[in-house]
Order: sequence, then C-alpha cells, then structure tokens
Amino acid sequence: MDPKFKDLVNRHKEIAREGKEKNGRLVFGTLCSYVPVEILHAFDILPIRLWGDGKNHERADTLLPTYICPPARNIMAMGLAGHYDFLDGVIHSYTCDATCGLFNIWCRNLKPAFSFLLSPPYMNTDEAVAYCIAEFKALIAALEDYTGKQFSAGRLRKSINLYDAARERIGAIYQANRNGAAVRYLDLYQMNLALQVLPIETVVPFYDGYLSNIRMSPGKGARRRVMISGSVVSDPDILERIEALGGDIVADDTCLGYRLVRERVPPREDPLSALAHYYLDRPPCSSRADFPARKDYILKTISAFGVNAVIFMHQKFCEPHLADHPFLKNVLTEKGIPQVQLELEGEGLSGQIQTRLEGFFEMLEAG
Amino acid sequence: MEGKKTRKRLQANTALRQIITDFYAEGHRAKAEGRPVIWIPPMNGLIELFYAMGITPVFPENWAPLCAAIGTNRKNFEYAAKRGFSGDLCGYFRNNVGYALDGINEENQPLNGLPAPDFLISFGAGCIPTMKAFQVMCDHFKVPVFRADLPQVAMEKIEKRHIAYGVAQIKRLIRFLEDETGLKFDIDKLRQAVIHTNEACRLWDEIMALRSTVPSPFSAAEIGIMFVMVTRHGTEIAVNFLKDVLREVKEKVARGEGVIPHEKIRLFWDNIPLWYNMQLFNYFEKWDAVVVAETYTSAWSLRLNPDEPLESIAYKSLVSYPLVSCVSLNKRIELITRAVRDYKIDGAILHSNRSCRPISMGQMDIGRVLAEELSVPSVMFDGDHMDGEKFSMAQFQTRIDALMEMILQKKRAS
Repeated sequence: MDPKFKDLVNRHKEIAREGKEKNGRLVFGTLCSYVPVEILHAFDILPIRLWGDGKNHERADTLLPTYICPPARNIMAMGLAGHYDFLDGVIHSYTCDATCGLFNIWCRNLKPAFSFLLSPPYMNTDEAVAYCIAEFKALIAALEDYTGKQFSAGRLRKSINLYDAARERIGAIYQANRNGAAVRYLDLYQMNLALQVLPIETVVPFYDGYLSNIRMSPGKGARRRVMISGSVVSDPDILERIEALGGDIVADDTCLGYRLVRERVPPREDPLSALAHYYLDRPPCSSRADFPARKDYILKTISAFGVNAVIFMHQKFCEPHLADHPFLKNVLTEKGIPQVQLELEGEGLSGQIQTRLEGFFEMLEAG
Repeated sequence: MEGKKTRKRLQANTALRQIITDFYAEGHRAKAEGRPVIWIPPMNGLIELFYAMGITPVFPENWAPLCAAIGTNRKNFEYAAKRGFSGDLCGYFRNNVGYALDGINEENQPLNGLPAPDFLISFGAGCIPTMKAFQVMCDHFKVPVFRADLPQVAMEKIEKRHIAYGVAQIKRLIRFLEDETGLKFDIDKLRQAVIHTNEACRLWDEIMALRSTVPSPFSAAEIGIMFVMVTRHGTEIAVNFLKDVLREVKEKVARGEGVIPHEKIRLFWDNIPLWYNMQLFNYFEKWDAVVVAETYTSAWSLRLNPDEPLESIAYKSLVSYPLVSCVSLNKRIELITRAVRDYKIDGAILHSNRSCRPISMGQMDIGRVLAEELSVPSVMFDGDHMDGEKFSMAQFQTRIDALMEMILQKKRAS
C-alpha cells in the first residue's frame, strides 16, 4: 500500500481541521455508517466518522458507565480530550443503544453547533422507503437551516456518484482478494476507513492506484480463508496477528467493511429515493437486522468468498452481536465451518486474544 | 439476597395479586380453548389492538420480574448460558431467552408458567436486548411471525411522518392478524380499548401526583401496581383497579397518613428497581426516608385520543421506549427536573444498572444537573435489575448512608 495513503488516513483529523481552516469547509462527525454522508457532502460538509482504536477510554469514565463497549468509551474520551474540537456538528442514525446514548451525551457535554438524530426504518418495504425519504428530507431541512444553503438534487447526484465510485473500487479490491490477488486485509481496512474519514474526492485515485498494482499471489491458496465478524473492529494489531498465524482475511461482517460496499446506489430519477434504497437494500448491521437477514449475509458471503473459518471479534458488552452469536455459531456449525470468538476489551492484542487465536489456528492445522 | 419481599402498605396489593394470577390463567385458558395467544414485546402500545381483536397477549418481559421475585431467574440464566448467551447481556434477555428455550418445559412452574405462543412479533424497535430476545424466540418457536417496524425517535421530535409510518405498520399488523386468526378487526372495539387506556393513564397520573403530598402516601415499593399498565391497558381491569388505588391513596392523604410514620427525607429513584430485592426500599426507613418518585413510572404519563385510535396507539408505541431511555437525554433530564420540583425531592438514587444500558447512559449528566442546577445531592450504586450477583448490599448501604448524611447535613444547614 502507498505509504502516503496510510499517512493520510492516520492524519485524517488534521486534514479535516486544515480543510476547515483553509477553506471554511464545515466538518460533521458521524457515529454510524447509516448516516447518509452523500447528503452532507451535497451541502459541502465533510463527514468524518468518529473512530479510534479503543485503547484509551478511561477519560470517558466521568460520563459513561464502564459496562459500555470500549469503542464508545474511547470515542467519548477522544472528544473530551479535544481531538474533535474542530467539529461543527454531529449526526447519528439510530442503530445500537450504546451509540445513541453516546450521541446524546456527546451533544450535551461537547455542545456541537449542529446535531441530528436520524430515525431510519428497520424494514425495506415501499412504505419504509417513503418514510426513509421523509427522514432524509427532515435532515435536509435542518441542514438548509443551519448552512443557509439550498439543497440541490443535482449536487446530491454528484455526491452519490463520488461515493459510489469509491465503493465500487473497494468492492473490486475485495473481489481481487477473493480471486487470489496479493491483497492484505490491513490494506482493505485502511481503505474502508478512508471512505469514512477522508474527503471522498481524495480517496478514489489511491484506490485506483492500488487496483492497478494488484498482482496475483501464488502462495495464497495455502492460507486459511477467514471472515471476521463483529461490530467496530479497529485493532490492526489483531488483524496482523491473524495474518501472521496463517489466516487470509478475505471477507468481513463489521461496521466498516464489505456490507457497506457490496451494493451500489440504484439508478433512479429521484436521488433521495435512490439513496433510501441503497441504505435499506444493503445487508443490515446486527442492530438493524433479524436473524434470517444475518444468516443470509453470513452464508452468502462465506460462499462468495470461499471462507473456511470465521473469527468473531466481539467488543465487550456489545449486546447486538453477543445476542446474535449463539444463533450464528449454530449456523456455522451446521455448515461445518470452524469458528472462534474473541472478546475485545479495548486492549488490542492482549495475551488472552493471542492465546485464543493461536489455539484456533493450531486446531485448524490439526483438523 | 434473592426473593426478599418488601412490606407493602396499600390494600390494593391483595387485588393486584389476583389480577396477576388471573392474567396468567387467562393465557392458559385461551390456549386450552384454542384461542390465539401472541407473545409481544413490552411497552409497545399495541395491547389495545390485541384485546380489541380477542387475541390474548403475553409479555415475556413482564414475566421476568416475576421470575426474579420468585427466584427462578437463576435457573433461566443457567439455561441461557448453556445455550451460549453471554453473561454481559441484559438480565431480562437472559431470563426470557432461557425461559422460552428451556425453562418453559419445566414442571410445576409458578402460575403454570407462560402458554406457548401461536404467533410472535419480531421486533424492530425498543431496546436491542428486547429486539434480539424476540428474534431468538422467533427462531425457536416455529409459529407465524409478524415483523414489526418502529423507528426510534426522541420524544420531543415525534412528528406526523412518524405517526403516519406507525399507523401504516399497525394496518399491516391488522391484516396479518386477520389472515392468521380469521378474527375481524373492529375499529369501535379499538376505540373503546383506547378509551380504557386513556382513562388508566389519567388515573395513573392522578395517583402518582398524590405522592407529592407530604408525607407521601406510598413509596416505590408499590411499583408493582404498574403491572396493569403493562398488561391490562385497553381493558376495564386496569381502570377499575386504578380507581380503587386512587380511592385508597386519597383516603390516606386525607388522613395525613404517610407510608412511614415520620417522613423526613424524600427520595427520587432513577432506573429499574431490583426485582429480586424489593425489600431494598425499606432500607431507607431507618433514616425516615421514602422514595416518592421514579423515572420508570413516568412511562405511562401520556394521553390518547379515542377519535383517532390508530394514531393514538402508534403514538403510544413511539413514546413508550424513548420516555425512559436515552433516546433523548434532554427529555429525560427535563422529566427528572420536573419530578424533583413537583415531589419536593431531597436526594436522588441513581441505579447504575448493568442490565439496562439505555437507561443507565446519561446518569452522570443527570447527577450533575441534580447537583449543579437543582442543589439535590445524589448517589450512584452499581446493580442489576435482574441479577443479584451483580449487586452488593454492602456497597449499596455505604453509598446510601453517605447520601443520607449529606442530605441531613444540608437540611440542618438550611
């Protein structure tokens, strides 16, 4: 991977801050991938996903109970430490209870000039799409009011095209990885993250550069084709360890990954309708899905990517994923797919996680 | 610690025991007679619809506090753990899933347990553990499932579009129920059910308002009366029971009779009580203190319009969860601020509840508002509304004693 790209991802907060200082571009924080970033972009607002590795969360203890997942605590801690003091607004789209609570507590304590809680539907019927469009319109009205700018369908179409182009590239990299190219999941992780935290205009050339340099990897066939499943997976050291143990992460089921790039925004005359379809058509996250939908995504992805082992990476106290786990475990057992569960406590690659991973890969070797 | 009973002081509790027994017996009778039984999520506002259609609703989440009071929660937790569910999940979830998957097959259950469902609602709304518990049940019971959809909207942001979407979902549910049961929906019966609910909510508010009297006629130990607000909305049972409660409470107020003999300190309780240890509310008595208001009981402080029965139950569905959770922290703080003033609160107890993240998130902000804006001292203790192993009586007592000393010192100073 181009080191320049990795550097940009690492410096995404600085880039947002510099952009704001230089061009006056508004910056809004988002807490979830269900926030329609295309709409923000159409208002020339830079959406930036609040994201961290979950390791420095103690500072949040003055505002959040300790039995909230480490990523939520970490985001709050970063906010309190001033890492996001350049934000003009925060937007959330209701998914899990913890992020909704975080959104409320963030707004109360850090007082962003603009805040909005979007309430999307859980289903994907005609009625749900119409309601979702109405929610988008409410957001647009609030943005018009705040920015003093008028919404333009044409601008939204351009924004959609930009995001779609980026998703298409990342999707192509997943496919190349599936087909045996020398793609590291750590690179995909950076590209997925870039989609959420960097100005969208800057990312596509890097994706294109990556795609044009992709070569086949003859040694890949010998490696275990792994899928990771969990909510926020933001610990590159764990991903690196999986690779070092002989795993090739080819697919994922996380807050930041394939689920977001599998689908394109469908071509429709009304861009809001198209956008509503995209957000409701794509595989739902655990907080918005029922068991049949979870099973459908997991099995289809396993089949499409030739996955032969699944690693559940569950954040401590993550109720949606913990509640899904026994069901999904049974689904995998029925299909004869080995799996292991890691519990992430905000300490990155802890000794316990190392031991579990080593045991799992030894078991795979033996089996 | 588990299964301890509080000393109740309202005569209405005798009638309440019968109402609880009758409710569960009615479910079994419906099952035996071949009438449809549906398991539905709690506080979803659609109870009126089921009663109006002659369908017997069962609320697994309401069963959980009973399990905790009786002590069968531990066995249900074990069943859930054996099925692979994490101990970090909400106690309602673990109890209800453990019960639905395994506990339901046990012999000699209290109140004969729950009748198995003929239909289920897979929930898209409410808190995550409720939603997921119903998904587990839908996967387990091979019965027709209605997939519900209700967006999570902060109470103060509810607008026509949210109500309209809720109504569309209710119409879809009516079609499902008619198709599955052959029963016909009658809007006038629903209207009548909404009239009952509205009256129950009005009576509820009147009863709760009487707790602002000094001395308070009853304490949080009587929170069990909300059983009728969860299970018997839409019926005369709730209305008649609440009328009796109101009469009794009014009489106590007229006599100047407080729940404790020498009330000196008035407390607010935030979050769900410890269902396995309701006796906890008696602990305050040694300080001549009484809990006179709670967050949880405000969940039914709403009004419905019988002229718009569908819109009314859609609204009730939309507000039931956000009213007491963290969907809108500002609204919750507003509610507590009002309660502190209306109920003349001297101090607040914040139950940091490992089984309920939506209610527990924001409590530190609430504590700050109490201290800085209302000059009301508060204390937070770690607990769990279902699991006694996550509660320490010693820690609780230490915290409460410190709070009481603080309140008394403040009173002396003023």
